Amino acid sequence: MKTSFLAVGVLAAATVAMPAQADKLDDIIASGTLRCAVVLDFPPMGSRDADNNPIGFDVDYCNDLAAALGVTAEIVETTFPERIPSLMSGRVDVAVASTSDTLERAKTVGFTIPYYSFENAVVANEKVEMATWEDMKGKTVGATAGTYEAIWLEGKVKEWGEGEFRPYQTQADVFLALSQGQLDATVATVEVSEANVKSGNFPGIKIVDKAPMVPDYVALITLREEYGLINYMNLFINQQVRTGRYAELYKKWVGEGEPANLTIPGVYR
Amino acid sequence: MFDTALTRSDLIFLAQGAGMTLIVTAISVFFGTILGIVFGVIRYQIGPWWAAPLTFVLDIFRSIPLLIQLVLANAFVTTVLGLRISGFTVACGVLSFYTAAYCAEIVRGGIEAVPQTLRRAARSLGLTWGQDMTSIVLPLATRVALPSWIGLALGVMKDSALVYIVQVVELLKSTQILITRLQEPLFLLMICGLFYFLISFPIARFGGYLEKRWSND
Amino acid sequence: MFNYNFRWNQALNSLPQMLEGALVTMEIAVLSMAIGITIAIVLTLFRLSGIRALSAVAATWVEIARNTPALFQIYMVHFGLGGFGIHLSPYLSLLIGIAFNNAGYLAENFRGALKAIPETQTRAARSLGMTPIQAFHNVIMPQMLRISFLPMTNQMVWAILMTSLGAVVAMNTDLYGVTSDLNARTFRTFELFAIAAVIFYLITKAITLSARLVAARLFRY
Repeated sequence: MKTSFLAVGVLAAATVAMPAQADKLDDIIASGTLRCAVVLDFPPMGSRDADNNPIGFDVDYCNDLAAALGVTAEIVETTFPERIPSLMSGRVDVAVASTSDTLERAKTVGFTIPYYSFENAVVANEKVEMATWEDMKGKTVGATAGTYEAIWLEGKVKEWGEGEFRPYQTQADVFLALSQGQLDATVATVEVSEANVKSGNFPGIKIVDKAPMVPDYVALITLREEYGLINYMNLFINQQVRTGRYAELYKKWVGEGEPANLTIPGVYR
Repeated sequence: MFDTALTRSDLIFLAQGAGMTLIVTAISVFFGTILGIVFGVIRYQIGPWWAAPLTFVLDIFRSIPLLIQLVLANAFVTTVLGLRISGFTVACGVLSFYTAAYCAEIVRGGIEAVPQTLRRAARSLGLTWGQDMTSIVLPLATRVALPSWIGLALGVMKDSALVYIVQVVELLKSTQILITRLQEPLFLLMICGLFYFLISFPIARFGGYLEKRWSND
Repeated sequence: MFNYNFRWNQALNSLPQMLEGALVTMEIAVLSMAIGITIAIVLTLFRLSGIRALSAVAATWVEIARNTPALFQIYMVHFGLGGFGIHLSPYLSLLIGIAFNNAGYLAENFRGALKAIPETQTRAARSLGMTPIQAFHNVIMPQMLRISFLPMTNQMVWAILMTSLGAVVAMNTDLYGVTSDLNARTFRTFELFAIAAVIFYLITKAITLSARLVAARLFRY
């Protein structure tokens, strides 16, 4: 009898000491703020306007997610390599940062279903003779360090066994090097490539071909164990497409045309 | 070359970055110097054997690239310990210890430059250790150490360009942000480089002047 | 707190790649020092020459090298020269950037060292029939290098540390480049950079220790 009293007492104490385990989803709703890591040197997904305020597809996407949760959004600027540390440290709740869903990364963080998909283009210096993407063989090529296209391109260069791969720190550096002729060609998202060719800031570059990579699916990320939040965000992404908001954002930031299909035929999820 | 899309608000943005560079430098040099003096005096006072652990730890800060120190400290504090600490705090913390590591050497060198006989004379006149340190060692050691200390402070300012890696938007990072938007890399970088030069050059000259003036007598 | 799972195995698997990177790091540091010392001696001669234009070149070089961040200098070697159609590979850009920095600091050290050498020595050497170049080469320079041996060792350590800045010019074969490349793939930031830090520490210690041994042999009186 005595021991069971004790057991009840301990149990009660434990319940008081540790109130019902609130997960990140609860925390966000309770705090009233959703903090999103967004990469702001990656137009049109994230960039800054003339007053240096954050804008872009990812910024709007974060705002939508916050609105759905009924909280206010806070954009925290991040670089590609800093996405994970800022998540783990609790500086941000989620990263809306065009993160490619590789299996290697999934060992460390939790991915949602894809919310966007990039196609990549091969952009070359005009002085270089190139007709297809395969002409990159043996050339000096480069891309933004740590991105999906950089990892793909470096793999290709290794496979070809000739040519050179250079990972620059920012997208701007890649295009500067390309424009100066330090690089013969680069692989970048179609969105970025077209914007840079059009802007005229980088004279002497042209889009050659589409890169033959499988579409680069990108997902929202949060801590690996936050299933509640991941579930919520999966449904949110589904709703974005269903309600036409996805197409609307695409039109606003990327341009005319069909936004990429986010499903893969022949397999679940 | 001066045909630029740079607007006034961009210049303010750059100035904010420059301000951040100066703030990070000021905080780090301030705490780094205090720590450096403490460590330097301890090292001198307790002798090389007992100070070995301290020497070892300080030496690490001088033997590993600052960039790696920052990445590592940031990853440790935020992902391993899971603390909610801003990049600014991490940057100032690492830079303070970085400064302290070099400053401790300068302080020790300064103290060693004060002739032993002079200090013994002071003590034999009845000065306490504290009085000896403040009235004899401090003024003399400062003369030896100040030029090196100025060099250190300027070094820290230049090295603070690396704190962009922990998300602190200082001068170089704000330059990069503008480059991304305006796509005028060379022009913007020249402005950035010029700023560092304009701060560093006169102070370095002043340090050289002090060194020359004080080494004559 | 401590909900972080270390994965040292995964990171340690990359050790061979990182050690290869360390070799590249050391190679760049050694070459940049050799180039830096040579240029610094030339700059010192420029300063001693008494020719206005030459001393101006030397002074400009030294002041830019000493008063702007090394990161900035390396970036400008790659993209600044690139703007004028001079294209250097990441390796060369990093090497030249560090050599530029080394030369500036070493020239300043040499100047300090020269002050410690009595001017009468040059006059004595000249009166023995040596040309100014001979006097510098045979009498002054050996002493100058000896006095600046410690600063040169420090600069060598700096050169090692500066290789970590190569990432801004797309350098990816040195120790830092290899590490950040692995980090981008796996996100095991702490483990990877901790290993890199240990390797850097060992390299710099090896340099300072061997410099001490060399100094002990060379400078026995």
